[in-house]
Amino acid sequence: MLMQEMASVSFQPTTNCGPPGICDYLWLVPAVPIIASGVIGLLKQQKRRTAATLAIGSLSFSLVLALVAFVHVVAGWTHGVAVRETVNFTWIQFGASNVDLGWVLDPLSAVMLAMVTLVGLLIFIYSIGYMAHDENYTRFFCFLSLFAGAMLGVVIANSMLLFFMGWELVGLTSYLLIGFWYQKPAAAAAAKKAFLTTRVGDVFFLLGIVWLFAQTGTLLFYNNGAGSIEHGALAALLAQPAALGLSAAGAIGLLIFAGAAGKSGQFPLHVWLPDAMEGPTPVSALIHAATMVAAGVYLIARVYPLMQAGALAGGTTTPLTVVTWVGAFTAVFAALIAVAQNDIKRILAYSTISQLGYMMAGLGMGGVAVGMFHLITHAFFKALLFMGAGSVIHGCHEEQDVRRMGGLRADMPLTFLTYAIGMLALCGFPLLFSGFWSKDGILEAAQHWSVAKTPFYMLVFGALLTAFYMTRQVGYVFFGTWRGKKPARESPAVITAPLTILAFFAMALGLIGTPAWPWFRGFIESRAVPFEWHGFMEPGLLALMGTSTVMVFLGLGLGWRLYGGQAPKPEQPDVLEKALPLPWAWLRDRLYIDELYGFTVIAFYGWWARVADWLDRRVWGGVVAGVAWAFRGWAHFSRFLDMNWVDGSFDKGCEELASGGGLLSRVQNGRVQTYLRILAFSVVALVAILIWSSLP
Amino acid sequence: MNYADLFRVTLPETALEVAALLVLVVDLGLLRKAALKVRVVVAALLGVAGCGAALWGISLQTGDGLYVGESLVLANGGGVAVAQIGILILTALTLLLLIDSSFTRHVGEYVAVVLMAATGGLLIASARDLLVIFIGLELLSLGLYILTAFAKSSGKSAEAALKYYLFGGMSAAFLLFGFSYFYGLSGSTNLAKIQEAIATSGPSPLFYIAWILVVAGLGFKVAAVPFHLWAPDTYEGAPTPAAAFIASVSKVASFALLISISESWLRIGERCGPWPQLAGILLVLAAASMIVGNLAALAQVSVRRLLAYSAIAHAGYILLGIAFIPGDVSSSFLVEKAVLFYVLTYGLTTIGAFGVVGVVERATGSDKLDSFLGLHKRNPVLAAVLLVLFLSLAGIPPLVGFWAKFNLFAAVLGAQSGPTPFALVALAIAMSAVSLYYYLQVLKRAYVMPAVDETPIKAHPVTLIVLLAIAAAVVVFGCFPALLQGWIASFYI
Repeated sequence: MLMQEMASVSFQPTTNCGPPGICDYLWLVPAVPIIASGVIGLLKQQKRRTAATLAIGSLSFSLVLALVAFVHVVAGWTHGVAVRETVNFTWIQFGASNVDLGWVLDPLSAVMLAMVTLVGLLIFIYSIGYMAHDENYTRFFCFLSLFAGAMLGVVIANSMLLFFMGWELVGLTSYLLIGFWYQKPAAAAAAKKAFLTTRVGDVFFLLGIVWLFAQTGTLLFYNNGAGSIEHGALAALLAQPAALGLSAAGAIGLLIFAGAAGKSGQFPLHVWLPDAMEGPTPVSALIHAATMVAAGVYLIARVYPLMQAGALAGGTTTPLTVVTWVGAFTAVFAALIAVAQNDIKRILAYSTISQLGYMMAGLGMGGVAVGMFHLITHAFFKALLFMGAGSVIHGCHEEQDVRRMGGLRADMPLTFLTYAIGMLALCGFPLLFSGFWSKDGILEAAQHWSVAKTPFYMLVFGALLTAFYMTRQVGYVFFGTWRGKKPARESPAVITAPLTILAFFAMALGLIGTPAWPWFRGFIESRAVPFEWHGFMEPGLLALMGTSTVMVFLGLGLGWRLYGGQAPKPEQPDVLEKALPLPWAWLRDRLYIDELYGFTVIAFYGWWARVADWLDRRVWGGVVAGVAWAFRGWAHFSRFLDMNWVDGSFDKGCEELASGGGLLSRVQNGRVQTYLRILAFSVVALVAILIWSSLP
Repeated sequence: MNYADLFRVTLPETALEVAALLVLVVDLGLLRKAALKVRVVVAALLGVAGCGAALWGISLQTGDGLYVGESLVLANGGGVAVAQIGILILTALTLLLLIDSSFTRHVGEYVAVVLMAATGGLLIASARDLLVIFIGLELLSLGLYILTAFAKSSGKSAEAALKYYLFGGMSAAFLLFGFSYFYGLSGSTNLAKIQEAIATSGPSPLFYIAWILVVAGLGFKVAAVPFHLWAPDTYEGAPTPAAAFIASVSKVASFALLISISESWLRIGERCGPWPQLAGILLVLAAASMIVGNLAALAQVSVRRLLAYSAIAHAGYILLGIAFIPGDVSSSFLVEKAVLFYVLTYGLTTIGAFGVVGVVERATGSDKLDSFLGLHKRNPVLAAVLLVLFLSLAGIPPLVGFWAKFNLFAAVLGAQSGPTPFALVALAIAMSAVSLYYYLQVLKRAYVMPAVDETPIKAHPVTLIVLLAIAAAVVVFGCFPALLQGWIASFYI
């Protein structure tokens, strides 16, 4: 499916809005949920229905606007126009330079807008059911709305700065929502961990932004040829050498990727994402599966011209190579850990990290369309899986350990059906499911990568692992016999209805990315897409599809053989654990990455904090005390002078002055005679200063 | 010069004078028997209408001003227009604050005097000739003395006015003395001609003295240390709308005048060899104002006196900007724009602050810090406005006061490199940090400390709307500073 022969429709780029169009109102998409969040924040705690109505209403409005924008871009595309409409305005001027902000409507933002608003709305509706018994229902919807608005702001941003503002806001709401049940110490700690870990990436990201501004003088992405990722600026960035043989473009690209790695849970900054599962499940589905964690991938896609700057035809660049290797490593690494987890949400969290690695690798090797297609399909089926897991947890009375579940396919048929669809999509079950097509796109790009073949083998192995751990999870949860205490029950319709809709998308989305009709790719890359069966006849393509199918079936088969219908009780060790106790322990303990950080970074900070504390108490405190002591001594001395020497020679009027307080109040004594005297004296003094300062 | 030109250039001033006379006729003639409430509203609205007419007059101006022979007497457009528009808008806001006050029965005279003083303000903002400057200044100052004394039943008001008058009279004498020396040195009263004459003749001791005398006179108007002594007493004693007028309109006009005088004379030396540090004197005043204003404000218990000292401190920051106006025109505009941005936003914020103080004072009978206790329970809207305005004065982002300071300091650092501007900006930033303490002292009483009295405070709807509008402007311009910056820059094309 690589580089098909396309019908030669010439795509004319549009650069800005002509007559007032949808682009002029695009700012409403993030603004309305943010305003709704502000209003919900002012509501009383009891106004539950109003809060939910406001949140869902505002996001529905955004969804409608986003769909109008999407249709507008698609309509332009079908008429051979590469839509890229921007609205830019000056935010601040200082001195001779400006900081501009703006928003952009192009295929990339249109697709993302449609996905975020649709998935977000379904999760909002699901939350009504899931959070029904929480007393802080209004606060939940306030944060959720703020998140949706901030995320949509990230999506439409046409300025690195606006992007960063939204980026930080989603980070804040992520923190607030992970720690939503702040009474639980684990939740509070997880929130803190998420905030701090992503902050590490954000610092690098900010450095990249500042560097970019210093080099190009603008932070706009697109500005009629004067933007920071357009041709002129990129040429200047490439000409500017940085350290270690990198150009400024390469160095800035790497810094930006560090930010993206923090947000998207790439190794070695992935540690916060599994812990973030302490938040309510709708939050995990929305923020930590579908949208926010994908923001890093979206960021790389957005600045792709910068990442790609300087690449020759068929070649690659340092930033993209780094993106690829980090992505491929993360994909396998996280999939391995997922095999040995027992918490239903943690398995999914590691799976998310692994899939984000696939997206990054896809971006690095295959381009924007490959990575973004997996982002979109993954958003739907992973949101489905998380919400399904939420439904299971709800039905099992807040139980999260898969070893205490079992046989739920009979008790929760609808949840089982939708969950199975999501699971098969994630595994990449051939032909019927969207995950197969998007993962195949990545594997194909990896197969053709010019630098090395290792990422291809890693990703294929990752596919096997994915199928295996998902089968293990489904075997534990839905097959075998019930191992919990109270019997499980099916969730209400407000929870299962969104599941059904998402399940539909998890299957149907595959249709727009098959080799025969790569609509998505053509849309993102602004090319025409004919429908051709012989798209499958690309050399090596069928063999590749065969390979990945074999891998998936191998994973499913292995998983089914080990866990199908015979899942062990919580007290008994896992089947694999009996076979391979030592590797199992490593994987169960997440390869000791957290412990490593505990012994290095955190220990260093602890030590440094103690040093600073000691300095503060012993050294600086002493200096401050010394200064204070000196002033006190001086005050005593002047009081002594005042009492024994000055006062004696002062008349009664001056005693009155002295009692008035400090020097300044003595001057300000309310007597106009004094004021005028001071005025005359000041003039004389100033003349003296002027003449003295002018002496050669 | 012809009279058609004169009329065209002074159209805004004329509009204000006509409005002043109209207010007198309506208030003393037509509405003699009407209730006080009606008279206040009518007079204030007529005054606002006069300001509106004057704004319209400004929009009609073309060309760059009025020439007599070849010398420019009254300038138009550019920074002058920005300052004049600012003066008119701030005057209208202070007039609207009058509606809720009851210190006088002579509202017609009050509004007329305000309009005449504003005329003086417009004149000094545009004047480029010593005589016109002096006449404008006296028109403004005499109006301010009267306004300060307007609460005739209050002893404090009379005392403040007398002090203000004596101090102002003496300063005006200094200023006039300085002007006469300048005339003697150059044989002209025109700023540009004086600049040429002095640049050719070189420095003389008489010139130093004349410069200091002028600085003293203008330092009085902007309340810079050591010519600030009138400010605390006047701010405390004057009726609230009058104090707001003194703190905002008079400041904007005086700084506009200071800008034009500094642009003409400050950099004479850089064009003709060794020359005294004229700007250095402004720096001394700026540093002294920042230090004294902020430190003395720490000790105040009266919020009005606190605002007076804070005004002195802000005058210090602004003087810092003016002292670094560079010699060449294009880069001088950068600093000038930053100064105008600061002065206008400061004037706006201060009117709001006085508005809140006025409402609280009427309800509690005192402007002491403790009368703000529990304000957020007694009137949450008022407390929120106070929060926004005081944080803006302290320079907290994202409020407009932050951008005003940021712009000004960035402009200063951009205008001249070296240790002096750096050290002074560092001092200014350190002093802004100090200022946060006393602003928070008021906010702490309004929000945190337990209330003594929880009876609600009522504010007149017009006052509330004005205050909310000011607070909204402070927030909006803070979030989108380019709106105001772009507007100011549009006058410099």
